[in-house]
Amino acid sequence: MDSILIAMILALLIPIYEAWQDDDIWQKMLAFASIATKTSIMMLVISVLRDDWSIGVVAVIILCVGNAGLMLLAHLIKRINET
Amino acid sequence: MIDKYVYIIVALLPLSALMLVFQTNPYHALVIRAILGAIAALVYIVLGAADVALTEALVGTMLAVTLYVVAVRSSLVLRLGILKGDGKTNSFTELIASLRKVINRHYLRLELIEYPDFLTLKQALVEREVHAICSQQDYSEPQNQNSATGIEIEQTYHTAIRVRRLFEILQTELTLPETTLTYVSVFNREDKH
Repeated sequence: MDSILIAMILALLIPIYEAWQDDDIWQKMLAFASIATKTSIMMLVISVLRDDWSIGVVAVIILCVGNAGLMLLAHLIKRINET
Repeated sequence: MIDKYVYIIVALLPLSALMLVFQTNPYHALVIRAILGAIAALVYIVLGAADVALTEALVGTMLAVTLYVVAVRSSLVLRLGILKGDGKTNSFTELIASLRKVINRHYLRLELIEYPDFLTLKQALVEREVHAICSQQDYSEPQNQNSATGIEIEQTYHTAIRVRRLFEILQTELTLPETTLTYVSVFNREDKH
């Protein structure tokens, strides 16, 4: 089962590299969306692996909050570029 | 016994922290801070601290980053006072465009604030409502002297800046014949009391 998580970590490195080398702020936001979702899915996998329900609940909450934070941040950055 | 994948996940944290430290643009740095928060929450989960991870995601990623974007947006700005009719002329839009290009290099925004006449414009600079004013009249000259001098004067603009660092940046990087730059030290009324 560990190999699944190793593969997910390798997939997580792709948006991290993208956030590091791209200069456009919207590309960085896309990388952030990708990372926020990937990390919370990894949390869910870990919670299943360890059979720990409290981790699973927190992972679901973080999955929701990550998207909400992304929306909020995107709106603020959009208004910076407009004015 | 600690699994192997724990070490790899924990190694992601200093990686994203280094990305954050070497980022110079404040807005890009804030997005990377959000990425760092997501990875930190993952690390806390892997190490077994579900409550800490929840706090990191809620406060560290969402609240702190949102508040910092608002703070950076309202502080990294150059407010330029202009006269009401000036915005439409061709040379003025050219001047504003090159000004915007110079201050964008320093991650500043340009905000134009219109005033009806020169006296209120001057007053706004003294009252510290704006950081700089740009008009065809010179800040130090009396208002009525300019009308007699002719057409060449009308092509040039005078920009008076009351922030010393902004003046230094614009003086070294803005090379335009259309405007003259002057530094104005505004008398600080709050410090007197």
